[in-house]
Amino acid sequence: MRRVLEGSHAVSHAVELARVKVISAYPITPQTHIVERLAELVADGVLDARFIRVESEHSAMAAVIGAASAGARSFTASSSHGLALMHEMLHWAAGARLPIVMAEVNRAMGPGWNIWADQTDSLSQRDTGWMQLYCEDVQEVLDTILIAYKLAERVSLPAMVVLDAFFLSHTYEPVEVPDQDEVDAFLPAWEPTEILDPSDPRAFNQLASPEYYMEFRYKIQQAMEEALRAHDEIDAEFGQRFGRSYGAVRRIPCREGERAPLALVTTGSVTGTARVAQATLREKGTDVDVVKLKLFRPFPHEEVRRVLGPYERVVVLDRNISFGSGGIFAGEIRAALAGLDRRPRVYPFVAGLGGRDITPQTIESIVARALGDEPPADILWEGLKL
Amino acid sequence: MPIELPVHERMYSGHLACPGCGAAIAMRFLLKGLGEKAILSIPACCWSIIGGPFPYTALQVPVLHTAFETGGAVASGIRAALDARGDTETQVVTWAGDGGTFDIGLQSLSGAAERNENILYVCYDNEAYMNTGVQSSGATPTGAWTTTTPTGSPKPTRKKDIMQIMAAHRIPYAATASIAYPEDMVRKVQKAVSLKGTKFLHVYAPCPTGWKVPSEISVKLARLAVQTRIFPLYEVEDGVRYTINLEPVGYLVDEYYRTQGRFKHLTREDLDRIQAQVDENWERLKALARIG
Amino acid sequence: MSPVTFRSVRDLPPMSRSADTMLWNRTGSWRFLRPRYQDKVAPCAEGCPAAEDIARVQILLGQGDFEAAWLRIREENPLPGVCGRVCYHPCEEACNRGEYDDPVTVNSLERFLADHAWKLGLTPPPPEPAAGGGRVAVVGAGPAGLAAAHFLRRLGHEVDLFDARDEPGGLLRYGIPEYRLPMDALAWEVGLILNDGVRFHGNRRLGGDLTWDELSGYDAVFLAAGTWKPAPLGAEGEEHARDGLALLEAIRRGETPEVSGKVAVIGGGNTAMDVARSLLRLGAEPVVYYRRRLQDMPALPEEIHEAREEGIPFQTLLAPKRIEPLPQGGFRLVLTTMEILEEDEGGRPRVVPSGHPDVEVEVDAVVTAIGAGPSEGVPAEVAGGGGLVSEGLHLKRIAPEGEWADRPPVFVGGDLVNDRKAVVTAIASGKEAALVIDARLRGRDAASIWPSIRVGRRGGVSMNRYLGGDRAAQQDHVVRYDELNTIYFRFQERRERPRITLEERRTGFDEVKMRISASLALKESERCFHCGQCDQCDNCYLFCPDVSVLRDLRAGTREINYDYCKGCGVCVVECPRNAMVLEEEPR
Repeated sequence: MRRVLEGSHAVSHAVELARVKVISAYPITPQTHIVERLAELVADGVLDARFIRVESEHSAMAAVIGAASAGARSFTASSSHGLALMHEMLHWAAGARLPIVMAEVNRAMGPGWNIWADQTDSLSQRDTGWMQLYCEDVQEVLDTILIAYKLAERVSLPAMVVLDAFFLSHTYEPVEVPDQDEVDAFLPAWEPTEILDPSDPRAFNQLASPEYYMEFRYKIQQAMEEALRAHDEIDAEFGQRFGRSYGAVRRIPCREGERAPLALVTTGSVTGTARVAQATLREKGTDVDVVKLKLFRPFPHEEVRRVLGPYERVVVLDRNISFGSGGIFAGEIRAALAGLDRRPRVYPFVAGLGGRDITPQTIESIVARALGDEPPADILWEGLKL
Repeated sequence: MPIELPVHERMYSGHLACPGCGAAIAMRFLLKGLGEKAILSIPACCWSIIGGPFPYTALQVPVLHTAFETGGAVASGIRAALDARGDTETQVVTWAGDGGTFDIGLQSLSGAAERNENILYVCYDNEAYMNTGVQSSGATPTGAWTTTTPTGSPKPTRKKDIMQIMAAHRIPYAATASIAYPEDMVRKVQKAVSLKGTKFLHVYAPCPTGWKVPSEISVKLARLAVQTRIFPLYEVEDGVRYTINLEPVGYLVDEYYRTQGRFKHLTREDLDRIQAQVDENWERLKALARIG
Repeated sequence: MSPVTFRSVRDLPPMSRSADTMLWNRTGSWRFLRPRYQDKVAPCAEGCPAAEDIARVQILLGQGDFEAAWLRIREENPLPGVCGRVCYHPCEEACNRGEYDDPVTVNSLERFLADHAWKLGLTPPPPEPAAGGGRVAVVGAGPAGLAAAHFLRRLGHEVDLFDARDEPGGLLRYGIPEYRLPMDALAWEVGLILNDGVRFHGNRRLGGDLTWDELSGYDAVFLAAGTWKPAPLGAEGEEHARDGLALLEAIRRGETPEVSGKVAVIGGGNTAMDVARSLLRLGAEPVVYYRRRLQDMPALPEEIHEAREEGIPFQTLLAPKRIEPLPQGGFRLVLTTMEILEEDEGGRPRVVPSGHPDVEVEVDAVVTAIGAGPSEGVPAEVAGGGGLVSEGLHLKRIAPEGEWADRPPVFVGGDLVNDRKAVVTAIASGKEAALVIDARLRGRDAASIWPSIRVGRRGGVSMNRYLGGDRAAQQDHVVRYDELNTIYFRFQERRERPRITLEERRTGFDEVKMRISASLALKESERCFHCGQCDQCDNCYLFCPDVSVLRDLRAGTREINYDYCKGCGVCVVECPRNAMVLEEEPR
C-alpha cells in the first residue's frame, strides 16, 4: 500500500510491522515523532507491545536490554545527546549479543545546542559493536528497519538504523508500505535460545576474566564479519520479496556501463542531493559517479575496495568530524583503500555540519575542487566562512 | 523459638563473598522468600563478583548482570518482556547495592517507581562502595571512615534516607529488613511478591571487611543496628501508612559504634551528636507510624 | 582448578553466561578459623547433685518425646518421681533463665515426666548383662541405698539390699508425708528399681540380725542406713516430748496417732514442717517454735510458705527450756527468748538468750523435730565421723584400719555423711558408691576417672559419662548467662504447678501439688535455654553465608561442610545457647 509518510512515522510503522514486543524511549528532538506515534499505536492496541516511558536514554537502552534478554523483540529510538548518554549501554547490548534495533536520528552534539542534522553522534558510537545502516530516503528508512531486525537476529548483534534529522525524520514522502503477511514471511518471530528462563536458570553477562574476554570479543568481530555476508543475503531476499534492495555499497554511475573519472561517496540523505547534482553536472559536461555507502558497521572493506579502487579520484563527503583527524567516513575509506597497489586519490571533504544545507551547488563546488588543482590534504572544508 | 523459613535453598556454596558477608546472607533470605519463578537483575555491586565469573553462577535463579545505574530500567524491561509473552507469574527482582541504589542508580529506580513497574527492587545496604574498596556512598553513615572519607575527615553528612525517597513515590510497598531478622525479611519478600507494582526493600547487610569488624559479628551488628534504632524495621504502604515491625530495645548507639573499626576515631561528642540524630529519626518515624 | 574450561573459541557461548555452578570452588581453603558443634554443660546440670542432664531432658521433652526424656533422667537418677516432688531443686537456683526472667520449673517438669511414665506404665529396658560383676551388700533402702542398688545392677553386679524396716524406701516411705509424696508414686518407682533384679531383704537391722560377719562375705558394702535417732532437745523434761520422725512414720504406716489440741512443734527444718502440717491434717492445732528467725529456718522456703498458708502459727526466737506435765493433762512449755548475736557470712546466725523474760505456753503435746543422728548399730567410726576417709563428693569409706582392714571395703553415704541431708544428695551418694565400687571391682582407679565424669567444676558425677555415653563428649565448660545470645529468647512467665485448695489441704493428706498437663509442661519447657546443648534451632544453618551447614532433617542432625565453610564464625555467635565453638584451623 502506498502512503505518504513522514520519515519518523515510517520508522514507527516499520516497528509495528516487525511486531516489536517492547519499546522503551526517552524524548529528544528530532526523534520524538517516532516514539509519539509508537505510543499511540500501542495505546490504540494496533501494536501489541509494552511501551516503557523511561526517565532517560540510558534507561531506555537498559530497559530494552532487559527486555531482549528475556526474549522480546525490542526497539528504541534516540538521537545526539540521548545516544551519547546511552553509550555505556550500547557496549552492553552488543556484548550481551542482543538483537536490539534502534532508530537513530542524526543530530549534532552540543554545545552550543543544535538540533539539526550531523552524523557525529552515531559515528561516535562506531566501536560499541552496533551495526550501523544509513538511509537515503523515507522508503529506505522503513525497509531498513525490517532488514535490520532480520540481520540483527541472524548474527545476534544490535543494529542502528540511521536517518538524518529533519531531512528524513520530518520529511513526508510517498512510501510503499508492505503488507503484514509479507513482512511476517520475511521476518518471522524471534525465537532466541539464550534467554532468562526460570526453568533453565543461568547467569548472563557475568565477569569474564582475561582468560575468556578476548574470545568473546573475537566472537563479536566474527559476527560482524558474518553480518557483511548476511546483510547482502537479507538485502537480496528483501529485494526479491518487495522489489527494493539497497546493498552495503551501491555505485550510482553517471552513465550506465561507464566509469567516470571521479567517484563521490555519500551517506544518508545527501545521496539524494548528490543524485540531483550528478544530473546537473552531467548536463554541464562533468561525469561523476555517486557511491552510496549504507553499511558503516560492519564496514564493507572488500566492497569499498572493489567499487572505489578503479577510480582515479574519490571524493568523500562527511557530514561529521572526528576532531584531530577529519571526516570519519573518509578515514575509514582511506584505510580500506590503503592496501591497494594502485590507489585513487582521496579528497576528504567535511560539509554541512550542524544542519547546514548541503545543496546540489555545494556538491558541484566540491567536485570542481577535486577535479581542479586542489592540493592533497587530510581534511578539506567546504562552505566554511573564511 | 526456632526461626521458621522455607526450606528450599537456591544459593550454592562456593561463591566468592568474603567470610561473614551480609550480602550473601541477605541473598539467601531473599531467595527463600521468592517463589520458584524469579529472575534477578544485578547491577554492578559486590554480587557482580560474588556470583562467580564466567562460566559459573552461584544462584539457582536466572541472573542478568547489568551496568551500575540500570537497576530500575533493566528490571522494567524484563518485566515488559515477560508480560508480553503472558508470563505474569515470574517475579522480576533487582538486587542492587547501596551505591547502585542511593547514588548512581537512583534515577533509574525513581523512574521505575514513578511508573509503578511491577518489580521488586532490593537494595542490600553495606554503607559504602565495598566492591571497589570501601569508598563513601550516599548510604555511608555520619562519621564513618571510608577510603574516600579518611579518619581525618570522616563522612560529615547524614546517610541518605532512601526509604523516605521511595515512600515519596507512593509505591505500594517499601520496607526495611535486616539479615538479623530472617523471618521478618522473608515475610516482607513474600508480601512484596504478593503485591502488584513497585516494591522496595532496604536490607541492612553488614560488610565485615569494609567495616573493619570480625566476620563472626556480622549478624550481631545488623541486630544491634535495629536494637539501637539506627536501622529500625518498618514498612510503608502506599507511601503513607507506616508500620514499625519491631520495637527496639533502644540500646545507646555506642553499643553499635564501639565495635566497629570504621568508627573508632569518633569522640564522645561525635557519638552524642549521632545519638541525637538517631533519636530524632526515631521520633519522626514513630510520629509517622502514629499518623499512618 | 575450575572444572569447565574452553580450549577453543568455538566451544564458547556467544556471550558470558553460566554453564555450571560455583560448587567447584572449595572455599573451605580460605578458612583459618573452624566452627564446630560442641555441647557444653548447662548450669542446672552442674547444680544438680545427681548431675541430671537437664538441658537435654528439656530438649527431649520439648520434642514431645516424654519417654526419652524420662529415660534420660533415669540415666543419672532412678527416682525422678520422688525428686520431682521433694527435691530442693538447686538446679533452679543455677538456672541461667533466672537472670533473664525466672528459672525454669525444672522440678515440676521432672515430676511430669515421671508421672507420664507411671501413668502409661512405661518400663525402662532391663540392665544389660555384664561380665565380671561382683556381689555387693547395700545397707539401708532409702534413696541412697536404692540409687546404689539401681546403678550397681545396671553396672552388672549382684545386689542384696537390706533394710531395718519391712518395706524399702527409708525416709521416703517412713518420713515424708503422703501429701508431699504419695505412697503409690513412691512404690511404682521403687518397684522399677527392684524389678532390675535387686534382692530386697526387709527387717534386717544392722546391729540386729544383720552382722558384719555376714556382710564381710560380700565384695563391697555400701552403708546408707540414714539418721533416725532423734537428737536430744537439751531441755529439762524432754522425755515428755514425742519424736517427730516416729510420729511421721506412724502416720505413714496408716496409724492414727493420738494427738489433738494444741501441739508445740519444736524445730525449723523440713521435718518440723512435715510434722506440723501432718498434725494439722489430723485435726490438731500445731504451733511451730524455732530458736532463730523465720529466714534462718533450714526448711525449704516453699515448705514454710505452704505451712503458713495453711494457717500454722510460727513462733520464733524461742528455745525450749523446760517441759512440765500439768496435773490436768497437757504440758507447760517454758521457752527462753533468744536474740541474734551476729550474722555469720553465709551461715546461720548465732543466737543467745536475750535476757528477756521466758515465755510459757500450755500445750497438749510437744513434738520435736530438731534433727536426728545415726541409729544404734551404725559403727562408731561412722557415727562419730572420725574413722572415715573421703571417697567422693557425697561418699565416704570406713578407713581400712583395725578390724576394717580385713573386711571388704565399706562405703558410707546418704544422710550418714552428707552435710546437706536431702534426697538428691542421698541419690548422689548412692550413684558415687556404685561408680566407685564398680571401678574397684573392675580394677579401675576411681580417683583418676573422677575428673572426667564430674559435671562442671562443682557438679556431681555422671553415670552417662562413666559409661562413655554422649555426655562424655561435652566440653566441661559451664555456660554462663553472658555467653548466651539471649536475643533469640522471649520473656515468658514461669508456670508454677497448680495446687489443691487450702480447705482440701487442711483436712486431708491428698497431694498438695497437682500434676501438670502435657501442654503446660511443653510450654514451660519452651522456656529452657538449653544452655550449651544443640536443640536443632538451626540458627547456624540459617545464618550461614556459605550454605555450609548441612542438615539431615530426618535424623535431626547437622554438620558443617568444611569443603565450603569459610570460617566466618557467624554460626557460633548466632548460636543462642553456646553449643558451638570457633577454633583455630588445624594446619
